[in-house]
Amino acid sequence: MIFLIMIYIVIFLLNVPGLINRKEWRELTVFLVLYIIAFIMGLMYTLDVPIPSPMEGLQYLIAEVLGIKYPKN
Amino acid sequence: MRKKINILATELILCFLMLFMLSGCTGGREINDLEIVIGMGIDKDKDTGKILLTAQVVKEGELGKLSGSGGGGADAKAFWNVSGTGNSVFEAVRQITHKTGNRLFVSHNHAVIFGNDLATEGLQKYIDFFLRAHEMRPTAMILIAENRASDVMDAKPETEKLPAMNIAKLVKAYGFTSHFYKVNMKEFASCLMSETKSPLAPLVGVSQDKDSEDIYVSGMAVFKKDKIVGKLNEHETRGLLWVLGEVKSGVLIVSSPNKEGNAVLEILEAKSKVKPEIKEGKIVINVRINAETSLSEQTTSENLATIEAFEKMQDAQAEIIRHEIMMTFDKSKELNADIFGFGEMIRKKYGKEWKDFKDNWDEIYSTIKLNIDIDVKIQKTDLLKKPAAQKEEGK
Amino acid sequence: MNIEKGKICNMQLLFLIASFVQGSVLLIDFTVGITEHQTWMVILAGLVIAIPFFLSYITLAKRFKGMNVVQINDMVYGRFLGKVISVYYIFFLMMTLSFNIRDVGELHITFLMPDTPFIFLLAVFAATCAYAVAKGLEVLARISHLFAIVGIVVPISTFILLVDQMNFSNFLPLFEVPFIKMFHGTHIMLSIPFGETIVFLMIMGSLDDTEHMARNALIGLLIGTTSLLVVSIRNTAVLGNTQAIWTSPSFQSIRLIDIGTILTRMDFLIGIAQTVLIFFKCCIFFYALVTAVSQLLGLKSYSPLVLPLAGIEVIIAATVFQSPVDHASITQDAGIMYSVPLMFLIPPLTLLIAKIRGLPRPERGKGA
Repeated sequence: MIFLIMIYIVIFLLNVPGLINRKEWRELTVFLVLYIIAFIMGLMYTLDVPIPSPMEGLQYLIAEVLGIKYPKN
Repeated sequence: MRKKINILATELILCFLMLFMLSGCTGGREINDLEIVIGMGIDKDKDTGKILLTAQVVKEGELGKLSGSGGGGADAKAFWNVSGTGNSVFEAVRQITHKTGNRLFVSHNHAVIFGNDLATEGLQKYIDFFLRAHEMRPTAMILIAENRASDVMDAKPETEKLPAMNIAKLVKAYGFTSHFYKVNMKEFASCLMSETKSPLAPLVGVSQDKDSEDIYVSGMAVFKKDKIVGKLNEHETRGLLWVLGEVKSGVLIVSSPNKEGNAVLEILEAKSKVKPEIKEGKIVINVRINAETSLSEQTTSENLATIEAFEKMQDAQAEIIRHEIMMTFDKSKELNADIFGFGEMIRKKYGKEWKDFKDNWDEIYSTIKLNIDIDVKIQKTDLLKKPAAQKEEGK
Repeated sequence: MNIEKGKICNMQLLFLIASFVQGSVLLIDFTVGITEHQTWMVILAGLVIAIPFFLSYITLAKRFKGMNVVQINDMVYGRFLGKVISVYYIFFLMMTLSFNIRDVGELHITFLMPDTPFIFLLAVFAATCAYAVAKGLEVLARISHLFAIVGIVVPISTFILLVDQMNFSNFLPLFEVPFIKMFHGTHIMLSIPFGETIVFLMIMGSLDDTEHMARNALIGLLIGTTSLLVVSIRNTAVLGNTQAIWTSPSFQSIRLIDIGTILTRMDFLIGIAQTVLIFFKCCIFFYALVTAVSQLLGLKSYSPLVLPLAGIEVIIAATVFQSPVDHASITQDAGIMYSVPLMFLIPPLTLLIAKIRGLPRPERGKGA
């Protein structure tokens, strides 16, 4: 947890000052959005909040709904 | 200026983080914390019916001491047989930590010995751990104890300090006689997975000899599926090895042409070619063996280094080899265990026909015919041209 | 406007592709459980079928010189549809990258460092990738030949060390596995090392000279495939029928190396080689991912995206599958299905539409 926050502080410090100096506002917004998503995901992981797996959804969609699958042994 | 401070701050934080990141290996274990296991014996506990696992742990301190050089004394054992019980192998392994205080380190395990009672019951459920555990090597040897595995582990060898090492050495020396051969975990697993091929494993026993106990290998245990069904003795094992082409060396004894004594020959090289055939729905296996031998000893005064004697001895050798093979083949039919792997050979060569044979292979196996063609050549007579005997009259 | 300013040369493309394909050496394990001793056939079949598609990627890159796939999509399909396809492409990159990061993690946690926390392995690995990607494509391309050499030397040297344990009758009978399984195996092979080369659509735009591109790219593909073949033949010859039961046949066969009881325990070799090669593969994926995202959003540089995306990837990698069992079974099914349109339908279609519409029009240099 503390570790996670420290890593994200470092990531923040590595990127943001440069972006502000260069006045790249569009980059900064994208960065911040991704940064917040990443941080929330990390937080969810450390707090053991279940994160839905996109592959399981796809598996359900493709194998069960569309019925495309290979026969099992 | 501010930029510099910024960079400095980032660097400081990075260094601070590195303190955590680079502090060492999480899974690191120091050598004095390791209980190095060199051999394992697995038995069934008579009273409780649980698994009794005996692990042979090396005592590093004792191992370093030269034997006889005071201090340690002759009786100081370099190993410690520690045992644990459990409902499964893994539970027993972890149970041992109650006695050792450390987790067992099984990367250097040379031999796994199963007690006879487990082999009768079926090994499949006990072997899983040894294949699955990530520290275990697939090269570890598998052996079957004639009686109890723990007794084999206890027998203190004379020259080697560690019984398990001694057993490994014994089995690895199979090439000198070809009376047994070594089987590792992977090979055993491969046979277990095969539909027809019977697994084999060397049998080890302990012989009481006055005050010392000696470990010896008495032959091969034959399995049907994963249960022991019989035993191949020394000659039968060699019969098997002739067919597999795995005879490395060994001794053949034939009676000398004048029947007064014996000629003793050493096998130098042996090759085999096995060709399965299906003739009119029946399986015929053609075995061709090429062997080379040398005259190593003779127990008669007759000069055997002659062309006529050579020819007679070569024929006699071929007869012995044929006899050994047939003996093994009959035994395998009797046990109904495909120790030669003929089934696999048929499957590989006749993929389509195999489907008809597969289901009742056991019955088909007893109808297999074996054609053996043996060619033995005597290559040399070592240091003597003639025996050290008085010249015979008339020669 | 292309997001990457760096240029790579044709030779570097060869090595990039070679080491990229070699990075999938560990992934043939997905196929081994299905096709057993006929895996080598599946690799060859996969290669043969993949070559036309691979050529379509190259032709596409050649036709739209100096553009990456996001720009191509925008140009061919128009703003909206192009964006949708680009998002699909980015989704594919994200998923595949997370699988590969997870592969490294699983490799280490099973064989090398069982006590280390899983997430930690992933994070360290992703951080290394992020560092390499932040350095840019040129740096990756410059060192690619080193990776390709590792990817050739390790399989061949272990092959030689294991020659005495090989039993070539393990390849018999030649046609035992039922057709549907062979088909399935071929599909996996087609998707995992070969179809994934679609990521190079993101990179081929940076080539300084496209003249010999097709030839070099094909040689790269062949070098990579040779490594895969050597590994699969080695595993089958050494392990025989047991190869289907091990978690990692490659590892298990290396563990069998025993030459004079001295040359043993060579696991580290494969550990290093696998990690290094997957690292390279992940770098390429990661690079493609960050450039594709920043191109899609019209950013001036991709470097600010590297670390947050690495963070997201690590968490996806850690949570996408529950266990290696899950990993294998889903990869063998949906994992290769969802990318079929992307790999095998869209590139030829794009090419067709471009031909019909006469794109790219010479006077227009505007893409995004």
